This record gives sequence, C-alpha cells and structure tokens, in this order.
Amino acid sequence: MVFIVIIILSYLLQMVLPWWIVIIISFATCGLIGKTGKIALWSPFFAILLLWTGMALFKSLPNNNILAMRVAQMFGVQAWWLILALSALLGAFAAAVSGFCGYHFRKAVLVTKTKS
Amino acid sequence: MTSKIKAFICIIIPILLVFALNTKFGNIPPILKFLNPFTGFWQNAEHITVKKNNKIILKGTQQTVDIAFDDRMIPHIFAQNDHDVYFAQGYVTAMHRLLQMDFQTRFAAGRISEVVGEKALELDKYQRRMGMVYGAEQSLEGIMASPESKEMIMAYTAGVNAYINSLSAAKLPIEYKILDFKPEAWTPLKCALLLKQMSAVLAMGSDEFYMTNIKEKFGADVVKDLFPDYPFKEEPIIPVGTKWNFTPLPIPKTPASFDEAITSPIKTKQKEEGIGSNNWALSGSKTASGLPILANDPHLDLSLPSIWYQIQLHAPGLNTYGVSLPGAPGVVIGFNQDIAWGVTNVAADVLDFYQVKFKDNTHKNYWYNNQWKSTTTRLEKIVVRGRKNIIDTVIYTHHGPVVYLQQPKDFSKAKNIPVGNALRWIAHEKSNELKTFYILNRAKNYDEYRKALTFYTAPAQNFIFASAQNDIAITANGKYPLKWKDQGKFILDGSDPQNDWQGWIPASQNPTVKNPDRGFVSSANQSSTDPSYPYYINWEFSPYERGKRINDRLSVMKNATADSIINMQTDSYSIHAQNILPTILGMIDKSKLNATQKEALRSVTDWNKFYDAKSIAASVFDLWTKRLQFEIWDDEFTVPDIPMRYPSRDRTVQLILHEQNAKWIDNIHTPIKETLAELINQSFKFSCDSLEKKYGPIGKSWEWANVKHTQIQHLAKIPGFGSKVLLTGGGKMTINALNEGNGPSWRMVVELGKNPKGHGVFPGGQSGNPGSPFYDNMIDKWASGKLYDLFFMQSADDSSATIISKLKISKK
Repeated sequence: MVFIVIIILSYLLQMVLPWWIVIIISFATCGLIGKTGKIALWSPFFAILLLWTGMALFKSLPNNNILAMRVAQMFGVQAWWLILALSALLGAFAAAVSGFCGYHFRKAVLVTKTKS
Repeated sequence: MTSKIKAFICIIIPILLVFALNTKFGNIPPILKFLNPFTGFWQNAEHITVKKNNKIILKGTQQTVDIAFDDRMIPHIFAQNDHDVYFAQGYVTAMHRLLQMDFQTRFAAGRISEVVGEKALELDKYQRRMGMVYGAEQSLEGIMASPESKEMIMAYTAGVNAYINSLSAAKLPIEYKILDFKPEAWTPLKCALLLKQMSAVLAMGSDEFYMTNIKEKFGADVVKDLFPDYPFKEEPIIPVGTKWNFTPLPIPKTPASFDEAITSPIKTKQKEEGIGSNNWALSGSKTASGLPILANDPHLDLSLPSIWYQIQLHAPGLNTYGVSLPGAPGVVIGFNQDIAWGVTNVAADVLDFYQVKFKDNTHKNYWYNNQWKSTTTRLEKIVVRGRKNIIDTVIYTHHGPVVYLQQPKDFSKAKNIPVGNALRWIAHEKSNELKTFYILNRAKNYDEYRKALTFYTAPAQNFIFASAQNDIAITANGKYPLKWKDQGKFILDGSDPQNDWQGWIPASQNPTVKNPDRGFVSSANQSSTDPSYPYYINWEFSPYERGKRINDRLSVMKNATADSIINMQTDSYSIHAQNILPTILGMIDKSKLNATQKEALRSVTDWNKFYDAKSIAASVFDLWTKRLQFEIWDDEFTVPDIPMRYPSRDRTVQLILHEQNAKWIDNIHTPIKETLAELINQSFKFSCDSLEKKYGPIGKSWEWANVKHTQIQHLAKIPGFGSKVLLTGGGKMTINALNEGNGPSWRMVVELGKNPKGHGVFPGGQSGNPGSPFYDNMIDKWASGKLYDLFFMQSADDSSATIISKLKISKK
C-alpha cells in the first residue's frame, strides 16, 4: 500500500514540483499509514528506485544514452548505467531515510500523547 | 521528553537531506537537483528521431512564419516581413544555443563571478576595466540610431525572450543545471556585448608595452633593425602596383619622440599565432563555370557548442544563407542569390596606450595640453556568488579607461597592459556593424557591397566579395584612426594632444581592389598593402606564409571547380619549411647525432614539406624551428622585470638566411661565442630528445596529428562535453591552420551563378545541447576536410532540400 501510494503521488507531483517533494511524500505516507519500521524504510526505497529508474530510462533510451554517457565522463566514470544507478540509489536512499523518519515521528508523537 | 527529541530529530534529518542534496558545493552540482529524472539532466536527453510537424503560438510575431529544419538541423526561416524573420532567428537560435549566448555575453560583460564565484573575479574586473560594457553601451547607441538595425535587434531580442519565457525548470539547458543558475531576460545590450567580444578576440592585441621596453633597452636602431615596419618577405593583400585613386587627407605630423621607462615584473611570452583566417575569390576567367568561386575559413579558438550557427533567412527583399553569431541578428559570412562574401581579420593598430600623469594619488586630475584636466569615474558593480558584491572604480581620461593602477597578481591577460596608462580602443566608439550585415545580406552587386562596408567599424576585416555579374573584390575594411606613421607602436604620452587620434581615414579610401589582372583576390591576415599606401594602418601584420601559398596555388589554377577549392582549404604545405629548410639542413653535423636523431634527420630530409597527419618530419621541424627561435632571441629578450617580445618569424628567417654572423646569435649567458650552426644543431637535438622523452622511440607516436593533439573543448571546459582527439593534419602557418585548440571555425565555398551553390561545414553541430545528436554531428566531416552541400531553398516547400522537421509560428 505504502509503496503504491508513494509511487503514484511521486510521479504526479514531480510533474510540477521539485524533486524533494518525494522526501515529503515518503515522510507523510509512512507517518500516516506506515505499519512497521521495516515497511517505512523499504517501501519508499523501492518505490523511488523503480520510479526514477523507469523515468530515466524513458528519457535516456530514445537518446541512445548519448547524454548519460557524457555525464558519466563528467563524473569520471566510463559507463552510463553507473550514472543511472547513482541517480536512482541516491533518490531511493533519501526517500527511505525520510519514510523511516516519518514512521518514527508518528511513534514519538503517539508516545507523547499517551503519556500526557 | 526523550520522545520530543526523537520527534525533532525525525523532522530535522529529512530537512538536512534535502539541503545537502539540493545545494551546490564547490564544483559539484547540486546532486539530486541535477540527477533526478524529472527536472534534472535526464530531461535534456533528446530523442534521436525528431518530430515532423510542430506548431506554436507566439504573440510577438506579426504574421505566420514557417521554419524548415534540414537533415543537419539547420533552420530555413520563411517570414513575411523583416520583423518576423529576425524574431524567428532569435527564437530558434535561443532554442539551440541559449546557454552559449548567455555565457558569452556574461563573459563579455564581466559577470562570470555571478555564476562561478570568486575565482572569476580578476577576469570580470579585467573585462570591465578594458571598457567592454562601456563600449557595448556606445555601440548600442549607434545601433538604435538606425531604424533598420533597431528593428533587427528589437525583434531578435523579443524572439530570444519568447523562448526563454517558454522554459520550465526541466527544459533548462544542462549547463544551467550543472552550474546551478538561471537564464535572465535577453536585452539589446547583450547583442552589442557579443559584437564587442568579437573585437576583444580579434582586435585586442597590443605590443606597445613590449616595444617600449625594447626601445628602452636596446635603442631605436635595434627596433628599426629587428622590428621593421614592413616585412622582409611579403605578398600584401592588395596586390603590389594597385593604384590609389584618391587624394589622401593630410597625414598628422610626427611629434618629437617620447620615452619613459615603464617596467614591471612579468615574463616574456612568444607571440601567439593561430587566430587568423583565409579567404579568396576567383574571377570567372579562372573557373570552369566562367563565374566566380569564393572561399572563406575564419580561424578562431574552437569550442563546443560551435562558434557559428548556420541559418537561412527568407523574407520579402531578403534570401540569404550563411553563418550567424549566436546572440546577434543577421548572417555574418554567407551568400545570397547574387553575391557571396566572407571575412578575415585585419591586424589594424586600433588600440593604443597613453601614459597618464596624475596630479596626485586621488587620480582626480591629469596633465593634458599644459593644464590639469578632470578625470571621470565609472563604478562597476560586480556580483560575486557566495560573497559580498564588489564595487570597482575605474578612472577615465578623455582617451578612455585607465585599465590598471596596479598590476593584478597571477593574471595572464594583464601581462601586456602597462600600469597607469589610459586605453584608447576602437571598440569604445559608437558603431553599427549590424547595418553592414543588414545591407550585405540583401546586396545585389559590387556597389551595394561597397556601401555596406562604409557602416562598419570594428573589428576590422578583409571583406572579400564575388558576384554573379563576375565581379570580385576585397577591402581591408574598418574604421581606422588617422595617425602619423608608427603612432602607437610604442606607448604614447597622454599629455600631448599631438598623440591623440586625429580623425579617421575615409571609408572610401580604405585599401581595396576590384577585378585585379591576376584574376583572383585573397587574404590571410598579412599586410594589407605595400608601403605605397599613404596611411598608417599598422607596422606589423600576421606572417605571410599562408597568403603566399594561397597566391602560389591560385595563380597557376585554371578551370577551377568547387572541388579544387575545397581541396585547397586543407592544403598543409609549409612555405616556412620551403624558405629555411635547405639552409638549416645544410648546417647539421651528421657525425654527432645518435641513432634516433639520425632517423629524424632522414625523415626531415625526405620530407615533402606538408604538415600531414602522419608526418613525423612535421613534428620534428615544428619543434626544431620553434626552439631555434628561442635559442636565438631568448637570451637577449627575456630579462627579469622587463616584459618584451621576440622579433617576428619573418625577421628570424631573414637572419638565418642572410645575417648568419649577427650579434644576436651568440648566447650572452655563456662565456663562449656560439655560431648559428651550433644553435641549429643544438635545437635539432633538443627537438628529437624532447619528442623521444614524451612519445617514446621514433615511430608512429611521433606523427604530427598525435603531437599536435587537436581537441575541441566545451565552452565552459566541462569534461566529457568536448570532442575526442581528432587526428588531422595542418598547422598554424599552413592554409589548413589547424592547431591544438584553434583552427577553421567555418569552411565555406560558394559557386556563384544563376543559382548559387554553397558548400560548408563547421566543427560541431547546430545544437548546443550535449544530449542532442546534432551537437557534434559535423565534426568528422570537418576533420576529413570535406564540405556539405548547403540547401539554399527558394520556398518553405522547396523539394530540393532534405527536410526532417517543420515549425510553424503563428500569432494565434
């Protein structure tokens, strides 16, 4: 569920908003409906990994990866897919950390409430 | 309590993540802003296949405009009025080259620090202090004063802005994403800045600081001997014997000479050659078709995106094809139905330094014509990324800006600028070069060509011309100050009114020739005229070797076709080698050479004197003669604290051939007395040894293409965005003047006729996007020395052209 919500929201909102909206989406989604810490970590991770890899390939394959190859050289590596991996993994990592934080934020707030 | 802290940490971590991944640190782009596939660089990856039909609505147009893009992505614009044709030119140029236009004009205006921060500060100051913005403002005034050029520049600006306004974050050119900045609105001043930058590239050379130091150290006789006002070997552009059919203005009197030692601690640098160009035109008497053929290849520092942008402009009264400068309306080098034209640089002395005597350290007053005059000041506000803004105050006398009051440290561009001197430079004049191109683009005959040239100021160019009426002509054209002979060879006394520029050479009296007997006209940056021309333009021009080779080939050419001319553009025969090789080879002492040196000597002895890609001899000869020049002059002309330059290559050849016992041969730093033969042997061994050290044993790796190492870099030197190493022949002093990083930036050959046939290529592509297949698609053809047939379309549906995409711009 978390996975699907994140992937759909991220796809739609990134059409009009900067990339860091995925951080907010992951945080909020996991904060609201994330059931366990594990889910809150891995769902956003794979959602963004899949979404970003898909989108990057959608742009890059019809380009014969010309640009990805040049950017790879700019970063000092020789294979374009390394740049794809770097993009998707970094995005996925940021989303995962943020989802995890969202889940624990809710836990922390709930604990505070039950105590008072 | 702990849970509150935990909640806080859970919020702060994602915020820090966003910050870290969205911010530029040093040279590293904001990493996820750059890498994310929705707005980052992936969005710049263009489809290999192009959409066939496109329509857009732009309120800035007056009527419908049709643009056809051919299979090299060259736009052919068909508009129904002048405004629309330049509006569309601005739009499509921005579509392909926005970053380049933005970057070059920021560079010209001294605004690079805004983008890259403090490291460009000295460069920005230099641009401002040379008066680039001041000059552009003057120029803009001239452009706005003429209704045609005003309409051109306003419509072009509106077209560029129509494109900029259509851009979303995702569509920004990739370099904006790497350097993390945004385009700003285009202005007419930016067009003017771009034209000024051409002057800065081509007419900012100045040797007067060096020459003054040389005169100080060695005296006037040595200057006369080693730095003569006319070369030993020369073939001037206007053929010797051409009559000057005008009555010249009185030449100003040479004032009593002025000397004062000005020195500062900088090193001598050998004069750089390479920015120059070739053009020539044959009359119908020498061609197979019976009508003229015109060729042009301007040499510049090569970069990607390409310096030029090909375009065809069609509107009522206008149908022209050629190359434009991204950022300026019109076609600069090209042809139309009736004429073709091209340019090479004229090394005119249009930049002078005046020593200023200030009253005191406030620099508020200076001595002029026996009284104190007030200076003016111009405040230059420099925005520096990541730092406080800087206000730089520049003092102006009536001559122009006082470039430096103290020498900037470790900044190579400032090396030939004398401290405390005011700069008088043609680029500070009010001018309107756009009008020249406006008229040329529409010109039908010789008279209109001549009329167009009268509006041109700088940078001075040899405008070559050919028409379907079988006229050919060349004019060393620009606005030249009226000077006394050698005025500006040395630094001038700024207090004496006799040293001021005293009017102008009338445009109609600029050196020109029409239909000369020899049946061709040509130029390769050498002397404009022989010494019989009544006015002073400069005392030194580029060396004559390329010009000589062009003339040698053209004078024996008969029944020329486009193919014979195209082949000639990549001729790499060295006249320099022809001149000195027999003499210097004869002085080599074979008995003292090692095996490698003997092998190298054999290859040079058998050499056909062509700088071919695979020639080993060319590598040896090139290094050898450069070193020889160093051996002869360096001991005298490199002195700590006194910046000077070497005598010219021409003077060196004269010395080697005819003055073998000259005192300059001896190395003054050694107790023994060297002979020319010793220097020749030493430098030969030096060149072999250093080639061996760098490239290993003599063989394939010594080949000229490998040693020359031609590579075209990205404009902002971004790694991965440049070209591969190109294995090509040619060299600085050959027709194919291709070097490590500079060379023919556009090769064009036009066959005049009822329907003109154009051929052309430049090293790069139409698109400035490194993610486009059209970014560098023409490089291989260019490197092979071949040219494309250009599509000179008569209508938007002309089926003779291969069109891959169409764009219709309408008002609603």
